[in-house]
Amino acid sequence: MNPERFSPQESLKVIQEMIEKAKNQVSENGHLYLLWGWTVFFCSVGQFILWHFFNWEKNALIWYLCFITGIYQFFYIRKERRKVVVLTYADRILSFVWISFVIVLLLIILLFSLHGETSAWKLITPVLVALYGVPTFVSGIVLQFRPLIFGAITCWALSVGAAITKVPYQLLFPAAAMLVAWIIPGTILRKKYLKAQKHTADHVS
Amino acid sequence: MFHDLDPILHQQLRLAIMSLLISVREAEFTFLKEKTNATAGNLSVQIQKLKDAGYIEVIKRFKDNYPQTLCRITPKGITAFETYVENLKSYLNTRPEN
Repeated sequence: MNPERFSPQESLKVIQEMIEKAKNQVSENGHLYLLWGWTVFFCSVGQFILWHFFNWEKNALIWYLCFITGIYQFFYIRKERRKVVVLTYADRILSFVWISFVIVLLLIILLFSLHGETSAWKLITPVLVALYGVPTFVSGIVLQFRPLIFGAITCWALSVGAAITKVPYQLLFPAAAMLVAWIIPGTILRKKYLKAQKHTADHVS
Repeated sequence: MFHDLDPILHQQLRLAIMSLLISVREAEFTFLKEKTNATAGNLSVQIQKLKDAGYIEVIKRFKDNYPQTLCRITPKGITAFETYVENLKSYLNTRPEN
């Protein structure tokens, strides 16, 4: 590498090459979409079954499963962080979008709990389904991944559907939202990630 | 009008490091080494030069008992890179390739 012989044309080539190499560094492997997608799907359908078929009053207890998923996620993220060698602007934006989503989600649940009226709880499902669409939409835009954008728009449409549907049937709406917004895109992202990993491994060996 | 190209940036490996860091927010030494195909020794020297110029900040920390070197471009580095690209453009426009 001789600085004197390094022409402006070559420097332009270096810039282009490096920017190209740094592109698509967002290492989304789809794992958390699948994890939370299936958790919420299972809890929604589970609550519907407990309510509709077994008439069990404390059917909402099934949502405590989310705590187990949350604990698993905590350790998973801690483990994954150790592997990270690059942090992009997109990674940083997305992590804060998802943190905001979790804060607002918990806040909504708290506000509904404080309100105390049974009739208000009928609105929580449509509100949460609409909320699922927000980080999904932003992620879809940032990752330039259409299945997430489509999933987010579906969430918003389903939230309207849930609002005009009686309980317990409206519990099937978050399950449908999860399938379209997180499970299907998560599966596609996972496949892409595994394919890319295999390609890298083949390239190295 | 042609302006002199910043000598700190007008060097292949340093420019490669800066181009990578302008694209990502922060990167580990191993990432830079892999993408630039440079030797660890040469990369360390050039990182130090960029750090001395105030173009990047270098964060040394321990991760699982292993030392980790994290590099991040500074606002001064972003400005320098942008100026370099602007000067490069004017140079390429005024001096056609022979």
